[in-house]
Amino acid sequence: MPLNILILGGTGFTGPEQVEYALARGHKVTLFNRNRTRPDFFKGKVEQLIGDLNDDVSALKGLKFDVVLDNPTTFPAWVRNAAQHLKGNVGHYIFISTMSVYPDNSRPNMDETDGTTPVPADVDPYTLVRENAGKYYGALKTFSEQEAERQYPGRVTVVRPGLIVGPLDRSDRFTYWPARLDRGGDVVAPGTPDDSTQWIDSRDLAEWMIRLAEQKVLGTFNAVGHTRPMSELLYGIKAVTTAGAQFHWIPAEFLASQGVRGWRHMTVWLPPTGPTAGFLRRNNDRAVAKGLTFRPLAVTAAETLAWHKTRTEAEKKTMMEGAVAGLAVTKEAEVLAAWKATQKGGPDHD
Amino acid sequence: MTSRRSFLHTGAMIGGALGLGGLPKSLLGQHDPFLLTPQPVTKAPASLNILILGGTGFTGPEQVEYALARGHRVTLFNRNKTRPGFFKGRVAEELIGDLNNDTSALKGRQFDVVLDNPTTLPAWVRNAAQQLAGNVKHYIFQSTTSVYSDQSIIGLDENSPVGVLPADIDPYTLDPAHASRFYGPLKVRAEQEVAKQYPDIWTVVRPCLIVGPLDRTDRFTYWPARIDAGGEILAPDKPEDPCQFIDVRDLAEFSVRMAEARAFGLYNAIGPEKPMTIAEMLYGVKSITSTPGFFTWVPWEFLKEQGVRPWRHMTVWQPPYGATAGYQRRSAAKAIAAGLTFRSVADTAKTTLDWHRTRPQAEQDATLRGAVGGLDMTREAEVLAAWHAKLKSAGPG
Repeated sequence: MPLNILILGGTGFTGPEQVEYALARGHKVTLFNRNRTRPDFFKGKVEQLIGDLNDDVSALKGLKFDVVLDNPTTFPAWVRNAAQHLKGNVGHYIFISTMSVYPDNSRPNMDETDGTTPVPADVDPYTLVRENAGKYYGALKTFSEQEAERQYPGRVTVVRPGLIVGPLDRSDRFTYWPARLDRGGDVVAPGTPDDSTQWIDSRDLAEWMIRLAEQKVLGTFNAVGHTRPMSELLYGIKAVTTAGAQFHWIPAEFLASQGVRGWRHMTVWLPPTGPTAGFLRRNNDRAVAKGLTFRPLAVTAAETLAWHKTRTEAEKKTMMEGAVAGLAVTKEAEVLAAWKATQKGGPDHD
Repeated sequence: MTSRRSFLHTGAMIGGALGLGGLPKSLLGQHDPFLLTPQPVTKAPASLNILILGGTGFTGPEQVEYALARGHRVTLFNRNKTRPGFFKGRVAEELIGDLNNDTSALKGRQFDVVLDNPTTLPAWVRNAAQQLAGNVKHYIFQSTTSVYSDQSIIGLDENSPVGVLPADIDPYTLDPAHASRFYGPLKVRAEQEVAKQYPDIWTVVRPCLIVGPLDRTDRFTYWPARIDAGGEILAPDKPEDPCQFIDVRDLAEFSVRMAEARAFGLYNAIGPEKPMTIAEMLYGVKSITSTPGFFTWVPWEFLKEQGVRPWRHMTVWQPPYGATAGYQRRSAAKAIAAGLTFRSVADTAKTTLDWHRTRPQAEQDATLRGAVGGLDMTREAEVLAAWHAKLKSAGPG
């Protein structure tokens, strides 16, 4: 049965995939956004409402929807603002949260019942101060989840994705690896091949959310792929290239001594010890039981690489410099040389 | 059109449609989520008149397709037994005969190039040469890296020693038992027969394990089939062990391009271009599936105790020690310099699995029983259980 779906945002990263899938499934799609990120991206295919969740939600006045997909919210005030018009007028509110709501990442296999981050007492939870969005990201997402339940009691689905990857991702985190391995040569790989990692393809996330809407599934869900070893991620990405990259797995301690950081430089990875021991080992049983499926890694890797190749030269240069995420080409060579110097006289590791 | 290539492509599209993303197509400009859509093949500068001996087995069909796409004229000579009429209407001519005893259909024919795929016996080369010697400008013989007598040599190349046929065996034997028992030495003798019959106009290509669609040996195919079945998967020895193989399409296209370039001499045809570990190969295969699963790497010593053999059960793999130390570390530098190129592992794995899925169910079941190559899944579970029991009895470590 076709649904009348409102997508807040819809032109960023996950949004476009939701739009395409929802349209393909025969639903009616309305977008509400500032028309700034990729303006008129879906012109003629969807209804477009212009406004701003900060201060102008008038375009939503008097409208009714079967489902709202809330992608962009980082401030609880945005949920509250939209609810001025939407409260009582929507059947189902699906909120994209984040795994960053969890303050404790030290234990593996934690599920949705794990504790979330409270907003500090001295911070107004309805703040619209930009810097607070980054500073209290997890706490404000947690409070936004709660705000959604307050505004739409008994009609909320909270989806907490892990690292979202795929085409259109501007964070360069996953994209670093396909781009790097496609260049071949000697590659710095983090820690050990057995270290854990986890991610979710934006298409898998988007399509599952539409299916949650169709089945009106309520509740809170970790949305992330199965825990897999780093070697599976990197070797799987290598498999879509022909450059013949050669991996050098360098211990976490040595990387740290070189100023190479997990997540920022060695993306999709954090040391599987201490406070981050469980960061890339979140439990996804509940979402899988409710129909979350996963594309083959080769599809994610090949399409992300193909998309990356369509980016501007400036963006590709940014990647080579590791300016957003990943390790700069020059820094990688230095780290490799330093590592090899420590290995001299020892047995060949290849 | 019922060509195998279009059939394969259809298979890939069906498999692909399951994972078709919602990304606006304008951003990627194509629809194949594995991005395996082959580059369009361009015509060769000059059209060759090519005779392919065999041509309907494993490497042959890929040579036919590529040669036709390059604008060459293709004639097949075979018994019309393996896939009869496979290329009917697409190749210029199909000549029927038997390299054992009836090469009359080749009489009076002239060709620019002969591609000899099926020969395992030197007599076959001699028999064909009764008609072809003096009538062909280039003879490309598909040999094998099994010609090498010492597989312990790391970096083994075309100058490494080859096997010698025992003095009491007639090199022109037609005994099928000899063909398998003295496979390497008879291939060596066949190479020598080629050089004798076609002096200065021969090319010998020595491929390692050939993999891809239409492969009936299940050696590579075992892994895509097994990994797609998911669960705990027995993997051989150590993740960093080396591995080599060549995609049948890379081999076929290389041999046709060697014909176009009139490149003579001896070439190892081995992939991939740069060293690859068995873990990279297995995770590369796994990357094309969505089935949850994981590998348990079990040391060679324990596998040996359990009767799990390299190559036969743990396919593609050979122990990187002792007599087989160099088996997966041979050099193809010469062929690479001459233009041998390589598809991605994901391409090889996906295309092989798509083809495997089109096989009769009995054949697919046989693959997971390890009937031809690979390990029976029941036996695999026993070996894994024994390994876990051994780890447990060794205590926490």
